[in-house]
Amino acid sequence: MEVPLFFTRVSVDYPGKPGVLKNVALDINAGEIVGLVGQSGSGKSTLALAALQLLRAKGVQASGRIDFQGRDLLRLPENEMRQIRGRDIGLVLQSPLASLNPALRIGAQLREAWEAHARGTDAEWQAHVRELLESVSLPSDAAFLRRYPRELSVGLAQRVLIASAIMHRPALLLADEPTSALDAITQDEILELFARLSRLRRMAMLYISHDLASVASLCHRTAILHQGEIVEFEETSRIFSHPSHPYTRRLVGTLHLGDREFA
Amino acid sequence: MIRRLFLLATILAAAVALPARYAFAQTSNNELRFALRADPKTFNPLLMADEPSETVSYLTHGVLIRINRATQQLQPELATSWKVTEGGRKITFTLRQGVTFSDGTPFTSADVVYTFTSMMDPKLHSPIADTFQVDGGPTTAHANGKYEVTIAFPAPVAGLERLFDQAPILSASASGKEASPGLGPFMLAEYKAGNYVLLHRNSHYWKHDAQGKQLPYLDAVRLEIVPNRDLEMLRFAQGELHLINNLDADSFERMAAQNGGASNSARDLGPSLEGEQMWFNQVAASPLPDYKKAWFRSTNFRRAISGAINRHDLTRVVYQNHASPGVGPFSSANKFWFNANLKAHPYDPADALRRLQLDGFHKSGPDLVDASGHVVEFSVITNAGNQSRERVAAMIQQDLKQIGVHLNIVTLDFPSIITRITQSFDYEACLLGLVNVDLDPSAQMNVWMSSGENHQWNPAQKTPATAWEAELDQLMKKQATELDPAKRKAAFDRVQEIVSEQVPFLYLVNKNALTAVSPALGNTQPSVLRPQVYWNAETLTLAAPAAGSKQLAMK
Amino acid sequence: MTRTMARAILVLTFLAAILAPWIAPRAYDHQYRQAVNASPSSQFPLGADNLGRDRLSRLLEGARVSLLLAPAAAALAVLLAAIVGILSAYLGGVWDRLIMGAVDLLLALPWLFLLLAVRAVLPLNVAPRLSVTLTFLLLGALGWAAPARVVRAQVRALLDSDFLLQARALGISPARVLTRQLPPNVAPVLLAQFCVSVPAFVLAEASLGLLGLGVSEPLPSLGSLLRDLESLPALHASLFQQAPMEMAAMLAPAAFLVLVICSFQLAFPQQEICS
Ligand SMILES: Nc1ncnc2c1ncn2[C@@H]1O[C@H](COP(=O)(O)OP(=O)(O)O)[C@@H](O)[C@H]1O
Ligand SMILES: [Mg+2]
Repeated sequence: MEVPLFFTRVSVDYPGKPGVLKNVALDINAGEIVGLVGQSGSGKSTLALAALQLLRAKGVQASGRIDFQGRDLLRLPENEMRQIRGRDIGLVLQSPLASLNPALRIGAQLREAWEAHARGTDAEWQAHVRELLESVSLPSDAAFLRRYPRELSVGLAQRVLIASAIMHRPALLLADEPTSALDAITQDEILELFARLSRLRRMAMLYISHDLASVASLCHRTAILHQGEIVEFEETSRIFSHPSHPYTRRLVGTLHLGDREFA
Repeated sequence: MIRRLFLLATILAAAVALPARYAFAQTSNNELRFALRADPKTFNPLLMADEPSETVSYLTHGVLIRINRATQQLQPELATSWKVTEGGRKITFTLRQGVTFSDGTPFTSADVVYTFTSMMDPKLHSPIADTFQVDGGPTTAHANGKYEVTIAFPAPVAGLERLFDQAPILSASASGKEASPGLGPFMLAEYKAGNYVLLHRNSHYWKHDAQGKQLPYLDAVRLEIVPNRDLEMLRFAQGELHLINNLDADSFERMAAQNGGASNSARDLGPSLEGEQMWFNQVAASPLPDYKKAWFRSTNFRRAISGAINRHDLTRVVYQNHASPGVGPFSSANKFWFNANLKAHPYDPADALRRLQLDGFHKSGPDLVDASGHVVEFSVITNAGNQSRERVAAMIQQDLKQIGVHLNIVTLDFPSIITRITQSFDYEACLLGLVNVDLDPSAQMNVWMSSGENHQWNPAQKTPATAWEAELDQLMKKQATELDPAKRKAAFDRVQEIVSEQVPFLYLVNKNALTAVSPALGNTQPSVLRPQVYWNAETLTLAAPAAGSKQLAMK
Repeated sequence: MTRTMARAILVLTFLAAILAPWIAPRAYDHQYRQAVNASPSSQFPLGADNLGRDRLSRLLEGARVSLLLAPAAAALAVLLAAIVGILSAYLGGVWDRLIMGAVDLLLALPWLFLLLAVRAVLPLNVAPRLSVTLTFLLLGALGWAAPARVVRAQVRALLDSDFLLQARALGISPARVLTRQLPPNVAPVLLAQFCVSVPAFVLAEASLGLLGLGVSEPLPSLGSLLRDLESLPALHASLFQQAPMEMAAMLAPAAFLVLVICSFQLAFPQQEICS
């Protein structure tokens, strides 16, 4: 069997809140979309941040290991880690509007993200950003680039965020509840976008959600996180047809109930 | 500034709240009310150094001899007669008989001896003792019988009788108590810190009027503690207070205007003993450059600057004519000692320039420069926060500009000024107020003697720096030892002449004594001498319900 | 609309302040001693003060002194506050506690005495314009502690923000975060502190004047002109009816200051990030 692109066996304790993640084992193969489902506070965001070593700033140390392309990220020095962030692993944070710098124009923010790992002339940048914005179905005209985040809808903001995260064609994209702030139609569009990007760029993805339904269409495999532990990690279809853990069963149960109610 | 605005708000709030309070304050129809600026620091008359304490002591305690504030003559009080002997070294008092303290105990020579012995006790640090300490030696008192006391000074003191106006007599039987029984027209009844001091009529008071009725006429005096002049004026206007002493010209004018010109309550009593004066630093060891020292030590320079100041403008603009040009250390308010032959230096810029030319000063363009080419620029320090004084300085600044002299005005806090004029001598000129509490020139020995600490322009000299200062020394010694009043007067007249010629002080203005007296107050005889309106408190009367309160009720 | 008007007013007042010597009808310091306390007239549009000086000319000159120096002092204070506040928040931990301790100490110091001490060592013959400049610079050099606290709090909040986390997740270097991502977000706070400091310094100069530390005669400042209002409580309320013109003339400096302060607040964009 081939070595997975991404592989974790990680525990995280926050000061004053131990056991947020308890030896969480997860693996993602190249090009594969894995769903991570769990209710609020179960530790999903913590896992995403731990993967990029972004917990350090909060004075939190993750233990165990997180392997990516054969290297243990937890043991990587900060300067090497910085090279991986945004270039090899992209991250899209939970709330799109809060994750954009309110004082910088869209163009400037994207360019900052570009210059974190690339050098180039204005012309090269222009060409790059046009292609990038088209790939996430955003307008690429100068007027759009001159806008401030407060002038964007949540959906547009989410696409800008995704654009900056996939700017350098990362092998893995961590998307933390990318659709939870969106209305149903926009949600579908974003899910479609993820599916297309993953397919076209052979980009692996960890799709984090608290809502099992959105996972169904997108993810190959799905992990259920409950109180800091992976209680189930299976083919998505199997999760729905044969949920084994009681918690999963409850999740699937409410989903069907909801379906019936709104059918 | 913010605090000031807050103050403003408080005053406005108080103004709104006052009418309601008024009804309660009207407790006794025969109660005199006026304001103290602060709480009295002590009720022990021997320890008083602040004005509120002095007011309480003045009303509650008696003295052996009083200076009549109207005639400025000595008047027997607790002593019926006295005799000065040994060339001014001793004074023997015959005491009034049948007088009792406010607690009913009889007044005898023992009380006088007790008072002076306590006062001279170095452990007490009595501020009054300073005036009785001649040449450092102590003053002693001993009784020659029940009604005779001799006070002996270590050296002759000219005009020593007047000192006793300042010495309240305590009761020997009540030693140790802070608020001791007194021999004054009133006695302390109640004190509420931050609020008021209530004095009741002393039913044992010895004085009677011509009809044989016992004094005082008033039943009580309520000294309200009002920390602020504006509030005091407001409460006076509402009939809550009956008198205000020492008004400044602006407040006075405002009050006169509010009364619709009928100035029956605002009273200008004419020249007081207070004024404004300026002097140049003539201290040889001062850190000033030599050329400036030379300016300031030149009589021509000082006289020229004095003549370049328009004193009439000062009195008119800053004091709204409630002042007169300053002449010398005493004004005409001091009936006996003022040298009436002297005049204020007239305003004459041309004469000023002529005098300056004698010293080699000349105009160079708009500026005045000295013989060696230095532009004439100097600074005057004055205390911050006194608005009329700052205006005086600003006017002098413009007057001096006319003759090409640049004056910089530096306002400092009081402690800094004191340090500069008494210790570091790091100043060029100083502008401060002049306050005389004592009518006698002997009280000014410290000012005019070249060795004196208060010889401001050049204090504590070992030997007089100039011939005229040497002459001042001689004259001051003469008036201090001479017992013949006419000879003393001649000596001090000459002192005033020299001061006018040599200009160690530039006397700028002499302020009028401005007061406000309620029409309800009767038998008033306001004096330019402190304590102006209530100096004859025992004979003051109050007309029943004042007109002011009716007006208030109608509003 | 309001903003445009506020900006227009600011431009006008600053122009008037700068051009004061040329547009003032009279010399601000000349005492027309026959016109003491003169009522407003064609000769003295706002009347004359208690030394007979033209109130309008003094207001213009006072505005010149205060409106040029107070912003300079405020800029100095805010610059120092920005450096200290950002450093403290960014370094965090022990450094943060040390720096904020120093700030607290500074705030607790008896500044008045220090200012008095400073005045004591200044030479006596200082031109009024120079001494008032020094006073304002001193205010600026000492006035940074309070805004530094605000800046620090703001930067602390920013450092915890999602968008800086996102920036780091994109691989943007700490240096770049500090120089490019952070400053535009701190700027509104600095601007707000600046706008608060300007009137505060104008008023501080006025109260320092009471201690002899402010502007000295014959030069006016807005603060020293405001001191004339101290006599207001004593003015009888009836004066409002008897002499409304005089009252208006007396209140002119206060009204002017209020106008300038309000314009300052309205002329700049309101910040979403309030501290
Ligand atoms: N900085 C922190 N300090 C302490 N506890 C934290 C911190 N951040 C998150 N937590 C706690 O860790 C748990 C997991 O948080 P999170 O990973 O955000 O959950 P999720 O993303 O699944 O909602 C929550 O209970 C949360 O309260
Ligand atoms: Mg989360």
